[in-house]
Amino acid sequence: MSMTADVLRAFAFAVLQAAALLALAPLLKTAIKKMKARLQNRQGPPLLQGYYDLAKLLRKEPVRSETASWVFVAGPRVYFAAAVAATTLVPVLVAAAPLEMAGGILLLVGTLALGRFALATAALDTGSAFGGMGASRDMTIAALAEPALLLGLFTSALAAGSLNLGGLVRNMLQHGVTFHPSDLLAFAGLFMIVIAETGRIPVDNPATHLELTMIHEAMVLEYAGPDLALVEWASALKELLYLTLLVDLFMPVGIATTAAPAAIVVALLAWIGKVLVLAMAVTITESTNAKLRLFRVPELVSISLGLAFLALAIRFL
Amino acid sequence: MINDLLILSAAGMLVSAYLMVGQKALVTAIRLYGIQSLLLGMVAAAIAASESRHELFVTAAITVGLKAILIPWFLIRIIDRIGIHREIEPFLNVPTSLLVCLGLTVVGYRVSAGFPEGAEGVSHHLIGVALSMLLIGLFLMVTRKKAITQILALLTVENAVFLVAVGVTPGMPLVVELGIAFDVILAVLVLGILVHRIVDRFESMDVSRLSKLKG
Amino acid sequence: MLWLASVGVPAAIAIRLATVVATIVLARRATACRLVALGGSILASAVTVSTAIHALVAGGPLDGVLLRHAASGFALSYSVTPLSAWFLMVFGLIAVPVAVYSVGYFAHSIPPSRIAVVGSSFNVVLGAVEVVFVAGDVMTFLFAWELMTLATAALVATEHEERASRQAAYLYLVMSHVGTGCLLAGFLTLAAASGSLTLSSLLGGNLVSGATRDAVFALFFLGFGVKAGIIPFHVWLPEAHPAAPSSISALMSAVLITAGIYGLIKVCAFGLGIPAVGWSLTFMGLGTLSAILGVLYALTESDLKRLLAYSTIENVGIVVLGLGTGMLALAYGRNGLATVAIAASLAHVLNHAVFKSLLFLGAGSVAMQTGTRRLEQFGGLLRRMPWTGLFFLVGAMAIAGLPLLNGFVSEWLLFQALLVGFSATPGLIRLNYPLCAALLALTSALAAACFVRAFGISFLALPRSIAAAEAHEAPRSMLAPQAVLAALCLGLGVFPGAVLLALRGVLASLPGLEPSAALAWGPAGMTSPVRSFDHVVPAMFGVALLGAVVAAAVLAARPGWAIRRVPTWGCGGELSARTEYTATAFSKPLMMIFSAVYRPTRQVEAIAEVSPYFPHEVRYRSEIEPTFERYVYGPLLRAVLHVANGMKVLQAGSLHAYLAYVLVLGVLLLLWLGGTT
Repeated sequence: MSMTADVLRAFAFAVLQAAALLALAPLLKTAIKKMKARLQNRQGPPLLQGYYDLAKLLRKEPVRSETASWVFVAGPRVYFAAAVAATTLVPVLVAAAPLEMAGGILLLVGTLALGRFALATAALDTGSAFGGMGASRDMTIAALAEPALLLGLFTSALAAGSLNLGGLVRNMLQHGVTFHPSDLLAFAGLFMIVIAETGRIPVDNPATHLELTMIHEAMVLEYAGPDLALVEWASALKELLYLTLLVDLFMPVGIATTAAPAAIVVALLAWIGKVLVLAMAVTITESTNAKLRLFRVPELVSISLGLAFLALAIRFL
Repeated sequence: MINDLLILSAAGMLVSAYLMVGQKALVTAIRLYGIQSLLLGMVAAAIAASESRHELFVTAAITVGLKAILIPWFLIRIIDRIGIHREIEPFLNVPTSLLVCLGLTVVGYRVSAGFPEGAEGVSHHLIGVALSMLLIGLFLMVTRKKAITQILALLTVENAVFLVAVGVTPGMPLVVELGIAFDVILAVLVLGILVHRIVDRFESMDVSRLSKLKG
Repeated sequence: MLWLASVGVPAAIAIRLATVVATIVLARRATACRLVALGGSILASAVTVSTAIHALVAGGPLDGVLLRHAASGFALSYSVTPLSAWFLMVFGLIAVPVAVYSVGYFAHSIPPSRIAVVGSSFNVVLGAVEVVFVAGDVMTFLFAWELMTLATAALVATEHEERASRQAAYLYLVMSHVGTGCLLAGFLTLAAASGSLTLSSLLGGNLVSGATRDAVFALFFLGFGVKAGIIPFHVWLPEAHPAAPSSISALMSAVLITAGIYGLIKVCAFGLGIPAVGWSLTFMGLGTLSAILGVLYALTESDLKRLLAYSTIENVGIVVLGLGTGMLALAYGRNGLATVAIAASLAHVLNHAVFKSLLFLGAGSVAMQTGTRRLEQFGGLLRRMPWTGLFFLVGAMAIAGLPLLNGFVSEWLLFQALLVGFSATPGLIRLNYPLCAALLALTSALAAACFVRAFGISFLALPRSIAAAEAHEAPRSMLAPQAVLAALCLGLGVFPGAVLLALRGVLASLPGLEPSAALAWGPAGMTSPVRSFDHVVPAMFGVALLGAVVAAAVLAARPGWAIRRVPTWGCGGELSARTEYTATAFSKPLMMIFSAVYRPTRQVEAIAEVSPYFPHEVRYRSEIEPTFERYVYGPLLRAVLHVANGMKVLQAGSLHAYLAYVLVLGVLLLLWLGGTT
């Protein structure tokens, strides 16, 4: 019986965390836009612009292609669901992930792959060349990024002694967070992969619709109205998810180990601060780099792979 | 006494093989084969009588019936049908062939001395004769050109093996013997048909004309 | 029920023999012949599966004799060990759906005059594979192995009017026989050392040592590796698998490959004593290489069945990688770790069999309806063949290793083995593990890309040919087995613990493994040997995912609105099948990135009559270099032919010369051997 109660409690926690992160994701996206604008001496959009955009899209009429089948409709929904479900595996404020019983890093990466698979397949459904092109490029970059991502995550996991994110954070907090030179290398590697996975300059430009430069945007070019809202929201959520993941792995100080309200508030403030710092890092990277040619991206990814491998070697040998 | 009979029969078989080497007339060669098989049957019967292995009587009967009577008749019929009665000039002439056969006999006896059972006594002669006949049969195949002679050589080799099987080993199960016997019949039948085909195609039984099997 | 299990194997073989005879007798009546052949096959497979399940549950080996010759004491014996039982179960799980599918498939695709041959060969192959798995001594094993090879070659050459089929069958025969020769040599060496012919005494592990042991290992690795399709022995696979009829391809990929893997596990990994470190590294290295190269070649294939064949090579690579990890662990004495790795391999054998046969059956339906296997001629098939498309999608997601399906389960286990291995192994050699883990991740992601391409180009968007536009859904008898296999993919993915519990008996029977390293967490979960390291319960996550999908659907639902359907924007021009992305285009970026592997060449030719500025036809030709065929097998063949040419001198054409060779050799041998007493 207590097992069922635990499971129910876990699900309740999961719903709470997912809803909260969903609510905050558009804010992060707009915050990055605003920071970028400020760096370029512009005002930038109001902070609530993300919500306005989503509300606008959700109100619009869904328009779908004649050639599309149920796969086209399922794509955004599965992509959204995968992003939401992935957030339940990541600890945010407390040193435990809501559904950590269900899985760890491997399941997380697998779920994000599921979302990507659904979106890429759906992109091929409209019969336009843009969809195919976007799907092809996105799957290529994802294929190259995945080994680097996993290796970077494995390094932290092996150092902390657990592949399960909740257990990982708990172990790190328990043993005291010490700084090891390999952490820097691992962080650099993973940061590059986060850039690649979230589709930011220098890998992909989230604001372009030119055929030569689109990757992620090409996949979702044909979506309109609520379908597009789901995709945009899920992308923002993924961004927040990746930044939270980096926070958990490299700067877990401040995460609450007890359920005391004071600890939670401290954790919340710490989390917001850390995420904003990382968002700043993303903004600076985007603003100071030019977008790479598609066939230069593998070089970037291989540098990241090398850094992860080096981190592993330095730490353990 | 039985041993003497055995040695005498074995010697007779070897002599018949020599005579086959020296023969030019095909009908005589076939008859020599018949005599050889008859002697083989006698060996089998003698061993059956002396060691009271009654299944060997059946073996002897089969040998005589099939190899001494049926097969020679069949081969002579073929020759009559085709109309070729003489062997043409072999690769080695008769005196040289006989010398080589002598050498092969020496090899056969030398090898039989190497066997533990064949060191002395009847077995020595039986194995020696059998090996010699085997080598002589092979030699016959190498140096003769007519297909019928090649068949006879093959049958001689088969007789040699049979001699060892019957004379030296405790014998083969009857099933195996029957199997071998029918094998021989079948082989001769098939070879007979093939001889017909060869003659049809080349208007001669000269096997050295079959030269397409090359690399 | 023990008596039933004890007669299970001979009963199954007897049923198959009877079926073969009946098939040949009914050769004139195509329908009856087909139904009898496949019905008998289903019955025999069912008997085999129940025997296997019984053996798994009972835990101990079921021994028996198939044939005995009293006079000489020669016997063909069988022994259903837990390992055999696992492979038999995998076999049965595939053989039954494939046979049901073939009822409809053979009716459409095999001409009535060939039904008897195909039907009887089908049963002979299945029977031979069964005997291979349960063989108790060397004679039985080799006899069944050879029979399996010959019958498969007959099936590959079903369409023997096509030159490609003949060549594929020939290549398969030659390579299989080289492999069998190596097996024979290996077994003879072991038998000479042991004096007996039973497999249990030959594979006790302590017969040979040192250089002999390494040589025997190499022989067996070559022999079984050819059958399993490990690179570099794989060249027959992409030719033979597509040439056979589709249900037979499913069998070949799922069942015949596992025969090779069975041999690798039984002999190379566990039959020659504690594995040497060098062997394990060979396994790991070649396994990883097969995985990467397999999926890379699959990515550029335009023939759907060749794509699936290369994907089989990839999955075999993953199994061999798992085996290598386990062997390395055994070499270092880490038995708990070895258990995880071997469990991952065995689970992947099952999972691969299920999703690969599902994919092949789907490909077969598609090929049957459209008359072609080329991806570039498909398109829009989801509209015309909705169920086939759905099942193919499930198979594609399973092979991509996405969670909730069975591919994820075995990859998860393998990752656990690799990571725990890194922590547990000392020294510089531990760097192998993260390297292989990274490459495994790359393989998995590339496989996902490959199957997005395969499914997307075939089933989505507009049809690229008239045949695709007019395709019909396959009959229900062909859909039902695919549904069962798809459900199995889902079930095995959601209840991984059940699979691990079933594997316990198998792992216990292999020397050196500790099944007490509890891997299952109830029927629905899996855990690493150290519980706190990692665990996964896909079912729970599935509930979360489902809830999220519902939430998404609710968020995006606009109950009042009717969905507006409009033509896709074609930049102002006509959108047709010609403007769609093609399969070649989809994988072009990867081909360019991995050009060191592919070494592509291309040729563009513009044909113009009036003026070179106005070409009326442009021809584009792109080719990937067949690396292994050109650089490994080409020189090897040339060397062999060169030697053979040199020996042509001996074949002068004269019959008498050949007989003279025999005579001289005979005399020499007699003199040499006869002289020694």
